[in-house]
Amino acid sequence: MSQTDDPDITNRVKILEQENTHLREKIREIERERTEYLQNVSHQLVAPLNAIKWHIENMTEVRIGVERAKKVLKSIYSQATIAVHLAKNFNLMSNLETDHALNQLKEPLRDIDLKRLLINLANDFQPLAWDKEINIGVSDNRFDDGPSILAMRPLIGQVFSNIIENAVKYSNRKTNIIIEGHYKKESDSFVVDIRNRGIPLPEENQEEVFARGFRTAEAKRKYPAGTGFGLYIAKRIVEIHEGSVSAKSVDGWTVFKVTLTVKGLQGKARYVSGQDSPSD
Amino acid sequence: MSQGKTVLLIDDEQAFLEPLADALEYEGYRVLKARAADEAIKILATERVNLVTIDIMLDPGGDLASEVDSHSTGLYLCRYVRKNYPNIDAFCISVVSDQSTIMQIENLGIRFLRKGETPLRKVLNMLRSRLTGIAYSTDRSK
Repeated sequence: MSQTDDPDITNRVKILEQENTHLREKIREIERERTEYLQNVSHQLVAPLNAIKWHIENMTEVRIGVERAKKVLKSIYSQATIAVHLAKNFNLMSNLETDHALNQLKEPLRDIDLKRLLINLANDFQPLAWDKEINIGVSDNRFDDGPSILAMRPLIGQVFSNIIENAVKYSNRKTNIIIEGHYKKESDSFVVDIRNRGIPLPEENQEEVFARGFRTAEAKRKYPAGTGFGLYIAKRIVEIHEGSVSAKSVDGWTVFKVTLTVKGLQGKARYVSGQDSPSD
Repeated sequence: MSQGKTVLLIDDEQAFLEPLADALEYEGYRVLKARAADEAIKILATERVNLVTIDIMLDPGGDLASEVDSHSTGLYLCRYVRKNYPNIDAFCISVVSDQSTIMQIENLGIRFLRKGETPLRKVLNMLRSRLTGIAYSTDRSK
């Protein structure tokens, strides 16, 4: 009896062929996803740069007054803010995908004054928010002063950038984004609430809104362009810092709550302490 | 030069809407803006519009949400304008790169311009040419 007449071998060959076909399909699927991802990244990054080009053409070729020129410059600033914000997110995406690459996130730990950080970020995103007549306010009497938290500053900055950018994007026109912060002595942690009024977050999406690439049906309908990466990145960074993040909509407000422990990463082997930078 | 003509810009991206609106208003055109398809349809029904620019990826708006996919709202609007307002000049200004969508738009006789990548001056000259019937050069030295 030849090998090919052996029913066991014939069956095994069939199974291997099926597995091979399945793996080929999987590779094609991954390649398709990768291409879509790169096209999406490219589009998202190019859009604000092209908008800046149109604004500059407008300024150089149309006679506009000083007040109008100031408004155009603010629009240019907000588009540049978006471009930088997206570039940081895409850079982080590759590092957050695997544990191996997580080691590349080794940033020095710094004492971060969350109130100061959030005021700076609110100012950064305010020109973009003005396009929709939205005001971003860090509540002075509802944001506790200190203590500072020990964390990787650029990453924590990106957490709040992503949540604020998300709030601006999905807020209704002429509304307020309110940022509050409270120190919880019992858990030695800081809780930051970012509230906005806009597309409500359905209860069934409260968890998956932080999943990679997820966008709610209503968000996709009203704002077709978007990656669904921002909140995923925010959650991953918060988890690295052994904190938590959640979201829900109540009485017309959507609230993102970020909890960070004050000394969360102190003493962890992988991280090193650094000096607080003057820009914090 | 503008002869009191009205241009309707349908786009939800303020960053592109504003410079185009500024430039058209500077030339004396009356500019109307719509950020969703249902808003645009209401304006078309109540205002005398001479030219319309249509973005593709757009919020259909509450009235159309159940029947139109936001990734091709503009295609729906292109067909709507061609069917109901055949005398209104139309341009499609969008970032979409899908050739099948672009072909469907151009088959309706609507010129497609890539948003952002087509210089603002070129877009303006094309709109102006259609509104006035006069060809304008896009040569920057002129």
